[in-house]
Amino acid sequence: MAINRDAMQTEIREVARKWIEAGEVRFVLGWEKSPNSDLSRPIFASSADDASRLVWNGLCTGNLTRYLVDELRKKPKRGEEPDCRPIGIVVKPCDSKALVELTKEKQIPEGSIKVIGVTCEGQLDPSRPEPGNDAYAKADKCSVCHNHNPLMADVVIGDEVAETSKLEDDDFSDVKGLEEMTTKERWEFWKRQSERCVRCYACRDACPMCYCVECIFDREKPYRWNDKTVDVPENVFYHVIRGLHLAGRCIDCGECERACPMDIPIRKINRYLMKRAYQRFGVKPGQDPEDESMFGSFDMNDPQEEIW
Amino acid sequence: MSMDGKDTKAPRSQGDRGDAENQEVGSQEVGSQEVGSQEVGSQEVGSQEVGSQEVGSQEVGSQEVGEFEPKIIGFLCNWCSYTGADLAGTSRIQYPPNIRVIKVMCSGRVNPQFVMKAFQEGADGVLVSGCHPGDCHYIEGNFHTRRKLTMLRDQLEFMGIEAERFQISWVSASEGIKFAEVVSNFTDRLRDLGPQTQLVKRGGAR
Repeated sequence: MAINRDAMQTEIREVARKWIEAGEVRFVLGWEKSPNSDLSRPIFASSADDASRLVWNGLCTGNLTRYLVDELRKKPKRGEEPDCRPIGIVVKPCDSKALVELTKEKQIPEGSIKVIGVTCEGQLDPSRPEPGNDAYAKADKCSVCHNHNPLMADVVIGDEVAETSKLEDDDFSDVKGLEEMTTKERWEFWKRQSERCVRCYACRDACPMCYCVECIFDREKPYRWNDKTVDVPENVFYHVIRGLHLAGRCIDCGECERACPMDIPIRKINRYLMKRAYQRFGVKPGQDPEDESMFGSFDMNDPQEEIW
Repeated sequence: MSMDGKDTKAPRSQGDRGDAENQEVGSQEVGSQEVGSQEVGSQEVGSQEVGSQEVGSQEVGSQEVGEFEPKIIGFLCNWCSYTGADLAGTSRIQYPPNIRVIKVMCSGRVNPQFVMKAFQEGADGVLVSGCHPGDCHYIEGNFHTRRKLTMLRDQLEFMGIEAERFQISWVSASEGIKFAEVVSNFTDRLRDLGPQTQLVKRGGAR
């Protein structure tokens, strides 16, 4: 890897320590080394000591913006003064896309975050050990990544990485296999996957864009749309509606698939809808906070070949 | 919906019972479920066509053309398509009685969940019909419908549910003839496709 992660790590710690000591931020959301594995886990660093535990390596897979929305929404306890200082957060380029998308959807008030952006050449997949320098294989999502430099950051750490591809030239080869199947084969594929799904909702809970206070799948009144039964029709219902709720918003951070205990290829659904959203409506999620959301806007000339 | 629920129950009851038995028989293993369903399917072929339709949709579809009457749930917008359907009726235009109409105030009201739920409750096809783009009573409702539901159509196709089962159409209040055409075309297409079994819940329609 061309990027010197250790130097970047020192720099992250330095910036975080400065912010915390100056009292500019409530805390800094970052990664620390997990005590009993190679993995990194989230840390809410609120002291200089905490700041020195921050790490940056190939296994900082988690998307910390997931915690950010919850934190921003928290109300102060009764009798306590609200802490109005911004929250510091360390983001990878893919996480910074989530920040853009959340800003677009007015979930991040202006001045409520301070961002340390790190450039990234791809993260590793801790579920696939591989002999070599990094000891793990590169994550799937990183091989189709279009952004290697953070889009939204107060401080950028690391040398700029040359962008190799754009959404415009993405051939979506990872969903091609499924698209080329017949409808019946595709059904067999998704039926098999749905039979395995245990509906733990980990994919929803890990998703930075699934921030609804009350999720439709938790809703019991006035009508329970999705029964709790774990069977194929209900699971397909769940995956279709979850996918649609993320269509045009999903920034492909891959957290859903990483969180899935049954290894269901959830990203395939997201990637396919991303492709169609781009083809149909030219939607590029997570690129510009000034863009309009896909389902919140329309064009008079939207394609409608299949409408009678 | 409740009327439709009763409707769906009558012709399906045999097949549903068959289905439920299969599930019990093969509940230990995923693989044996399929085997089980084939067995039951073949047992019932002689006695009940409806039952065998339920179990093995693909092969049966071609044999039983003409016997199978698809059930269509139609979400029609109050201002154009519902009035259009009304016009088709008052003008005595003939069209298949397979459609069960649910009136909504705007096609933009149709949430993708409605469509999925209709399939779960045993619909063979779902039709969403609204005003032509630009004619919406609420100015822009159907533009949103167009984005939302074409994406749903893509999504269904990707998940392996035939996109032909989900139809969107624009029918204005004066297009009684077009409404009749849409329904009869859609019905014909669904007849060819055969019954929708993928999303129907185990216990059948509630």
